[in-house]
Amino acid sequence: MAGAKSALVLCMDVGFSMSNSAPGEEPPFELAKKVIQKFVQRQVFAETKDELALVLFGTDSTKNPLAKDDQYQNITVHRHLMVPDFELLDEIENQIHPESQQADWLDALVVCMDLLQTATKEKKCDRLNIVFLTDLNTEASSEQLDVIINNLKKAGITLQFFLPFPAGDDVEGGGDAEGRDPGQPGTGKGLSKEQKSGLDMVKHIMLSLDEEDGLEEIYSFSKAIEQLCMFKRIERRPMAWPCQLTIGSCLPIRIVGYKAVTEEKLKKTWTTVDAQTNQKDDVKRETVYCLDDDNETEVQKDDTIQGFRYGSDIVPFSKVDQDQMKYKHDGKCFAVLGFSKQSMVRRHQFMGTQVIKIFSAKDDEHAGVALSALIRALDELNMVAIVRYAYDRRSNPQVGAAFPCIKQDYECLMYVQLPFMEDLRHFAFPSLANNKKFTPSDPQLAAVDSLIDSMMLVEGDDQKDMFKVHHIPNPAFQRHFQCLHHRAVNPGTPLPPMEPWLKAALERPDVISERCQAPLEEIKRKFPLTEVEKKKALKTSAQIFGKEKQLKKMVHTAAKIIGHGIPSVASIYATRTSHKAQKVPDDPSHPASSEEPDAKKAKGDEEEDEYNLADIAEGSVTSVGSVDPARDFRTLIRKKSLPFGEVCQQLTRRIEQLLSNKNTHYYMKSITCIQAFREQSIKLGDASLYNGYLQSLKRSIPNRGLEVFWDLLLQGMISFYIQGCGISLKSHLP
Amino acid sequence: MAEWNAFYKNEDDEEDQEEGEQSGGDYKITGRDSLVFLVDASKEMFIKGEDGQPSNFDMTMQVVRSVYTSKIISSHRDLVALVFYGTEQSKNPRNSFKHVYVYHDLDEPGAKRVQDVDALRGGKGAELAAKTMGSGETSLGDALWCCANLYGDIKLRLSQKRLMIFTCRDEPHGGDSVKDRQARTKASDLKETGVRIDLMHLMKPGGFNVASFFRDIVSPPEDESELGLQLEPCDKLEDLQKRVRAKEQRKRAMARLNLCLGEGINVAVGIYTTAVTARKPAPVRLYRETNEPVRSKTRTFHTQTGSLLLPSEIKKAQVYSKKQIVMEKDEVDAIKKFDDPGMFLLGFKPMEKLKRHHHIRPAVFLYPEEDEVKGSACLFSALLTKCSERNVFALCRCIARRNYPPRFVALVPQKEEVDEGKVQITPPGFNVIYLPFADDIRTLDPPNCPVASQIQVDKMKEIVSKLRFKYRSDAFENPVIQQHYRNLEALALDMMAPEDMEDLIMPKVDEIDARLGPLVEEFKDLVYPFNYNPDSKPPAKRKTAGTGGGAEKKPKVEMPEDELRAHMQNGTLGKLTVPVLKEACKQFGVRTTGTKKQELIDALTERLGS
Repeated sequence: MAGAKSALVLCMDVGFSMSNSAPGEEPPFELAKKVIQKFVQRQVFAETKDELALVLFGTDSTKNPLAKDDQYQNITVHRHLMVPDFELLDEIENQIHPESQQADWLDALVVCMDLLQTATKEKKCDRLNIVFLTDLNTEASSEQLDVIINNLKKAGITLQFFLPFPAGDDVEGGGDAEGRDPGQPGTGKGLSKEQKSGLDMVKHIMLSLDEEDGLEEIYSFSKAIEQLCMFKRIERRPMAWPCQLTIGSCLPIRIVGYKAVTEEKLKKTWTTVDAQTNQKDDVKRETVYCLDDDNETEVQKDDTIQGFRYGSDIVPFSKVDQDQMKYKHDGKCFAVLGFSKQSMVRRHQFMGTQVIKIFSAKDDEHAGVALSALIRALDELNMVAIVRYAYDRRSNPQVGAAFPCIKQDYECLMYVQLPFMEDLRHFAFPSLANNKKFTPSDPQLAAVDSLIDSMMLVEGDDQKDMFKVHHIPNPAFQRHFQCLHHRAVNPGTPLPPMEPWLKAALERPDVISERCQAPLEEIKRKFPLTEVEKKKALKTSAQIFGKEKQLKKMVHTAAKIIGHGIPSVASIYATRTSHKAQKVPDDPSHPASSEEPDAKKAKGDEEEDEYNLADIAEGSVTSVGSVDPARDFRTLIRKKSLPFGEVCQQLTRRIEQLLSNKNTHYYMKSITCIQAFREQSIKLGDASLYNGYLQSLKRSIPNRGLEVFWDLLLQGMISFYIQGCGISLKSHLP
Repeated sequence: MAEWNAFYKNEDDEEDQEEGEQSGGDYKITGRDSLVFLVDASKEMFIKGEDGQPSNFDMTMQVVRSVYTSKIISSHRDLVALVFYGTEQSKNPRNSFKHVYVYHDLDEPGAKRVQDVDALRGGKGAELAAKTMGSGETSLGDALWCCANLYGDIKLRLSQKRLMIFTCRDEPHGGDSVKDRQARTKASDLKETGVRIDLMHLMKPGGFNVASFFRDIVSPPEDESELGLQLEPCDKLEDLQKRVRAKEQRKRAMARLNLCLGEGINVAVGIYTTAVTARKPAPVRLYRETNEPVRSKTRTFHTQTGSLLLPSEIKKAQVYSKKQIVMEKDEVDAIKKFDDPGMFLLGFKPMEKLKRHHHIRPAVFLYPEEDEVKGSACLFSALLTKCSERNVFALCRCIARRNYPPRFVALVPQKEEVDEGKVQITPPGFNVIYLPFADDIRTLDPPNCPVASQIQVDKMKEIVSKLRFKYRSDAFENPVIQQHYRNLEALALDMMAPEDMEDLIMPKVDEIDARLGPLVEEFKDLVYPFNYNPDSKPPAKRKTAGTGGGAEKKPKVEMPEDELRAHMQNGTLGKLTVPVLKEACKQFGVRTTGTKKQELIDALTERLGS
């Protein structure tokens, strides 16, 4: 039931010889610690249920159940069998130091065995393993070796040794070619006597446990670190999908499918927590529904029903009806529709996100033969089966192709989804060959040819792949765990840079980058490439006004002022704009009038009081005109000759009119109107009209292509909606 | 202000992004696409073809209908109009143009419009057309002018404007040079405002001479190859449909990137999605009382204080082995960032190194963007030529968008192919195949399978050969989506029942059986022993097809109370299976919230223990 669980003892030598090293080399102790760290780290992030114990030997103190008198001395059980966690990582980091004693490593092995056996009596573990990290530099009494081996065998305990030196035969022959890392101080050559006899014992044990591959379980530290650098790839056990392959109504073949390739995602997602308390429960997300009116009236979820768009129509279509009327099918299915030439199914037409391998049902020899006949028939004819595939009754059926796949040790069908008519987009692209401008010349083609030659990622006569992408672990996961680990162990510090090996794994192989230098230079010479200056989407008002520096400055000031909400100064700009507006013909659609305002006229920097101007014109103002709507608006409000709502409506109508001209000049004028609207609304303490209008304006921006205007507006106004004013604007506030 | 925006993530915004999401990219919506069908309604259009072939008018209406319905499914926000010219009656805004009949002005297509177009199809349609519009004088100039007004009346921002003229008359004005000139002027006015004019010329006796008049009307072809004008007139519905579709679908680059070959050698390319899994659209929430759509707002607030939380007051966390690891929101994004978006060439490999089963998502298409980097098209074209000549693909590292982790991709060369009618079937460019990482490949232990003998294989070969057909990627409609839209259509148009739909991915069992005849039994005799029953082997394997649903409920698994109690006392509840536990929960009226085993056990223990 609980699946496979394993128990593992990490047994590390911390004795004094472990901290000896040749100058410039890391002592074996540090290397061994790294191996353990990386290993535990992997276990923690893989969230396995595997349990782990840590035994140290060569410790100054002694703490183990077998210790009696002078037996089993200097061996410490640091941690009993349990699921590894950050605490353990922390302990390894901070509590494990090189110590000054030496202990018999065989004694330590016995302590480990005892620990495993007593601890797993209660628990159900299907794998018991001891990982041994030592430099074998202590005298070990070999008398009980055979008893130990027998016990290991009996208990089904496997062993792995990690040594500072490789265990290959060349070491014994004194071959220092690879055995440079043992680093014996003073000896200079190879291994010490103890190490040699120790290694012999290790080999003896390993070969007795597993005659064939025993020696493969002896690793060197440096190699182990390299391999452990990568976080364990996410492994998922493939789920069997039993079904029947059918051809017509009376030819069924029992099959079972397994997902073979699919884009793996990280198992965990991020949760949102409160920044202060780091508590998830302090944060709540809520979705509310509101009507699309000016007040954004909230409605309860229960008062909403579901509908679907059918072009411009929205059709109410309840869930019940939908379930009743929706497409239904008979469920699980792998039915052949027909057979087609393999060449008709193009690689780039593959759809979906997975490849399923189809085998015959387990323990059904006859189904195996039948499926094999189909696979081989397809293979020999170069054909492919087009099938209807449905995972189960709830999932949508697909159309797909089942390719024959014959490997050395197995054969299967490989299913890939194919497109439906609705999925395809038939884009026509201009021909490249028919266009003389783009046709490369022969020397150009030759340059590309030699580039390809220099960058072939295969080597040798057998075309060995030098860069197997599917052997590279997903760098995103590696980086993710690296950062998580860092943050878990060193909270409060910035995230670490990417690990160099990870970066390197994504680069061109060195041979290639060297080889392609010259051809690349040639390409550079033969193919002129010039970046086209682009007029980027203008973002800031400064950019919008481009060279008109004066104006730019002015807008900036204006924007700043508007932002600070000091109406009198802001309106200077408003007035100024109005001067110009008077000069241009009233018809805003007249193109001649949409030229940018003359910078010179805008230059006069003396302050003008808008009310002077307003006073002059006041008498005649009866409605919000198009010349200076902002002023008219203010005047009308002050005179109270018309109801507030009415005046606002007139103003918004003017704003809309102004905005129908896509021109910065009109934009600025609209902004002054909005500013006036805002200021008067605050004065009167009635913000609903203003807020409502802005909401609807915002919504219409994308449809009307007024993004530039909106950006300008946002820059000019820091507080957007009117808050407070004794009016509940809760629904408007962020 | 950024905060303000962040909080008002409205559904409307999300909706725009739904397209292309799966392929890891969304389009920046910069406006709506628009398409005007300008259809000749002269008498010539209504002449029936030989041996019952539909008239040109009929054919056109079918095409218009299919564009309407496909727009509804794939891009309902596009605007479409249908205008007839050469009519007797006139109907247009302001009624200032004679003999121009605006049947539908520029708007989103809806159910009603599909119905309208349906009404114009077939013999009855021709009658209706004669009655409502009739055939009269022709002035293409007026018609174009009228169309220009349609565009002018649109307040929305239009990203693409297209106009398609459907006609079988190469000299619509019968040689009236004044009218010809007027039409040319109007056409060039339209083109100047960014409207692309395409000609869908239809068959007429004596052939259609594009050069005499229409050459000056239509927009020049995009690629200077003059492909557009060399086309033969259409005489088949299928051809017309293909041509219209090719023009009508707008290419939108999912992303524009640089393909970097080496230091300073950047080829600008656009990534296009040529196949995206079409899904049922997300439902829209409506207010029960009025059926008007409501908008949803999601906001984040503090549970205790009730105050809304700013992004700066939120962090992200994950828990590993009981330890919470907290990061800032932008750190979470930063982790994903390896580099700026772009493609980087690593090298080349022979095509056979591209494994068929290395498939993790649909391919996308790569085409040069000469507008971004001048010279891109030439280098791209040289790469394409050489790669396909040498049968190699380019291996690249690809970061499609900002803060996306890298993926390896294979750029597989694809040469341009055209059909007999010189319509492009496959465009020139590279197909971008996404390659799996080690994590994406699962380890399977393949079972030991017996191998079939040659006789058995040969028999299967006969079966395979009998069921051969030519696979076409656009041959299968998605029954789920089709049914959904038919349902909507029925509801929208108040139809009694949705239109019947043929499930094209259902095997035609009878036909297959008939074709295979005795082959099936012969094959079975060769591979299966007498009495072999594939259904009965495993305990009660239920047959997939056949007897109606609902029957396959699992057999009830009840357990007497005392037995259950015994289990509980011994602490061996865990030995029972989940269905048994669930049944037991039901039995004792224990309401369970979870489906996990432990939760069930806990719930039961609590109940029985009390």
